[in-house]
Amino acid sequence: MTSNKDQPSDLSMDRRKFLSSATAVSATTIIGSSMAPAAEASDKSVKPPSASQLMMEDEVPEGYSAEQAKDYFVSSPGSDFMVDVVKQMGIDFVTTNPGSSFRGIHESIVNYGGNQAPELLTSVHEEQATAMAHGFYKVTGKPLIPLVHGTVGLQHASMAVYNAWSDRVPMIILAGNHMDVMDRRAGAEWAHSAQDCIRVVRDYIKWDDQPVSLQHFAESMARAWKIAMTPPRGPVAIAIDGHLQEAERGDLKLQIPRITPTQPPVGDEGAIAEAARLLVEAENPVIVVDLMAHDQTGIERLVELAESLQAPVVNQFGRMNFPNRHHLAQGASVIAQADVILCLELNDTWGTINTMRDRVHRESQRRARSDAKVIDIGVKDLFIKSNYQNFQRYFSADLSIAGDGQATLPSLTEAVRSAMKRSRRLSNSERELRWQSQHRRSFEQALDTARYAWDASPVSTARLFSEIWQVAKDRDWSLVSDDKLKSGWGTRLWPMSKHYHYLGRSGAGGVGYGAPAAVGAALALRDKGILPINVQSDGDMMFSPGAFWTAAHHNIPLLTVTHNNVGYHQENMHLQRMAVRRRRGTEGNSLIGNELRNPDLDLAKIAGGMGVWSEGPIHDPNELGPALKRAMDVVDQGEPAFIDCRCQPR
Amino acid sequence: MTWWRKWLSAILFGSTLLSSHAAVSQQTELDMRSGKALYERFQCWQCHGYEGQGGRSGPRIADKTYPYSVFSVFVRYTNLMPAYSPSELSDAQLEQIYQFVQSLPAPASLEDVSIVDYE
Repeated sequence: MTSNKDQPSDLSMDRRKFLSSATAVSATTIIGSSMAPAAEASDKSVKPPSASQLMMEDEVPEGYSAEQAKDYFVSSPGSDFMVDVVKQMGIDFVTTNPGSSFRGIHESIVNYGGNQAPELLTSVHEEQATAMAHGFYKVTGKPLIPLVHGTVGLQHASMAVYNAWSDRVPMIILAGNHMDVMDRRAGAEWAHSAQDCIRVVRDYIKWDDQPVSLQHFAESMARAWKIAMTPPRGPVAIAIDGHLQEAERGDLKLQIPRITPTQPPVGDEGAIAEAARLLVEAENPVIVVDLMAHDQTGIERLVELAESLQAPVVNQFGRMNFPNRHHLAQGASVIAQADVILCLELNDTWGTINTMRDRVHRESQRRARSDAKVIDIGVKDLFIKSNYQNFQRYFSADLSIAGDGQATLPSLTEAVRSAMKRSRRLSNSERELRWQSQHRRSFEQALDTARYAWDASPVSTARLFSEIWQVAKDRDWSLVSDDKLKSGWGTRLWPMSKHYHYLGRSGAGGVGYGAPAAVGAALALRDKGILPINVQSDGDMMFSPGAFWTAAHHNIPLLTVTHNNVGYHQENMHLQRMAVRRRRGTEGNSLIGNELRNPDLDLAKIAGGMGVWSEGPIHDPNELGPALKRAMDVVDQGEPAFIDCRCQPR
Repeated sequence: MTWWRKWLSAILFGSTLLSSHAAVSQQTELDMRSGKALYERFQCWQCHGYEGQGGRSGPRIADKTYPYSVFSVFVRYTNLMPAYSPSELSDAQLEQIYQFVQSLPAPASLEDVSIVDYE
């Protein structure tokens, strides 16, 4: 480990001088010491140039003239400087599927950078590389770099970028491109070049640039990091020119700009006071939360606010926002009784206050009381784009406050406490008893429901989660997959209080997210002793099975158990609804196009083919527990393990 | 009526009752079996599960007591689920499905399953 002071302030300095100065003096650094990314970067060891590199720089190799050497060798390529920039940003991994348009920086990462901080993570598809960065962020709060071809690679990655955008997940995409026509070889370099390669994803990223110099690259990367990490967070992209990567950097005096993280926006003080007044005066205040908690602090802050008011919290589980076994954790039915509803970082406030059933004539109904006041706090209005409609329907809140939910909570809680009179405070004990009772009833009801179909084959989803719990309960663990399509048994039954206990959903429902995001999350958890649990849908897995190869290749421990309902069940239900609506629902044809049978997929064999220990398919629920124990023996040795379990549809 | 005639009448009446009960049981059994086939054919399992246990997409229908009249209203008229019309799913078929759903057994007690270990 080195500290910030060990880093060179001027990377144009001779590297021999750097070697001596790095070990001996504290250079006057231009890298800030007070900001998070540089501080993180300073903990990473930056390898000095090797002896052979130094020889290349200073000496003409034996058998070559100086003129010949210029033709054959590059001593200090531009991509080495690019790696210096990435290192200073504290980026842990670069996820990639290799491509010639970024071969320069690829080589610099593994040789010049020593393949450490960032380390290259090999993926077999750009969509998976991007989803891995998505999953990694959900655990660490840190962005990764997916490194892709600017054309065919970014096209592959685009759905995963849309998921990240919709889920407010930052990442810095580097896209290789060949800008100068005079530098392009005939053939692939033309097909893999674009006038504006980022255009394909521009509708669902926050910012992009195509630097024309190394200094431009350094500045754009600093800007990219700030923009990606400032709420509302999201992906950004930088096109990196092939020539810029591969050519000599020359004697340019290059600097890496200091990155000062932008403080998240906090709601207006007067509006917060008004929100507090409404909440304190309410008879039945309710808090609804979705994409709020960036980390554990967010959970703790929400607990403080909820307990101050003794107001129930409805978690929509975009993030693990609130402990699900806290007595104030309640189901969505409480919204109907609320007289004041505080919405925290909801992507869909309209859909929370109203319902619209899937009927022939689409009519909406207000779920909340007609006189209920709605306070909407969040950052969604701070950044919005036109084309893709993932911003949901417009809702006219009574009080709308632009501010990051987690950052705004302390001032809101303080304002609530200040506004609360003694009589209101005294009513809290009665409220607490009421919600404790209701919470207990809900949990008992969930347990009661879970008993049904206990011994059924295919295995019930409740039994699936219960059997997994038996191997997880005595460890620290993280459910790295969405459980919504598995009847929510993870979030209903497993006691969740930590930020990483549940990582939420894909963002935009783009299928193929599950496996690679789970691998990215597992990578983030690898050195923390936390068991990553991936309950993997079969349909989703078939989009990106190669992610399991990445887990095997990089020794990433991950427990995967499939929820294999042999088809695209959501679509199965949609088709049956269509058929019944048209009075053609009697023939069972809704399976056509939706079921994954004939032949049945041998998912265990597929995972096995990726180098992952695997078992299955398991049909008998009594065989699941012993198989899980065998799988855990593998995971405990630092390897991924996979069980295919045939399950009930939901 | 002499005593033996009364006795004979009672036996005849009783056996008629018994055979009628047996016929009803046989019919119910038949309905349940047909009902299971119809439950699968009409894709009820998609939302309610193969065992009627329910889930996020549809409520539990196993081990619940409600009359057929309520059941049929839910299936045909509530808009809570796709509306199966009588021309597609006849009353007789719906009754058979009802018999099957009613026959689904109660689950094991909480103490007998491993889901209780969540504290």
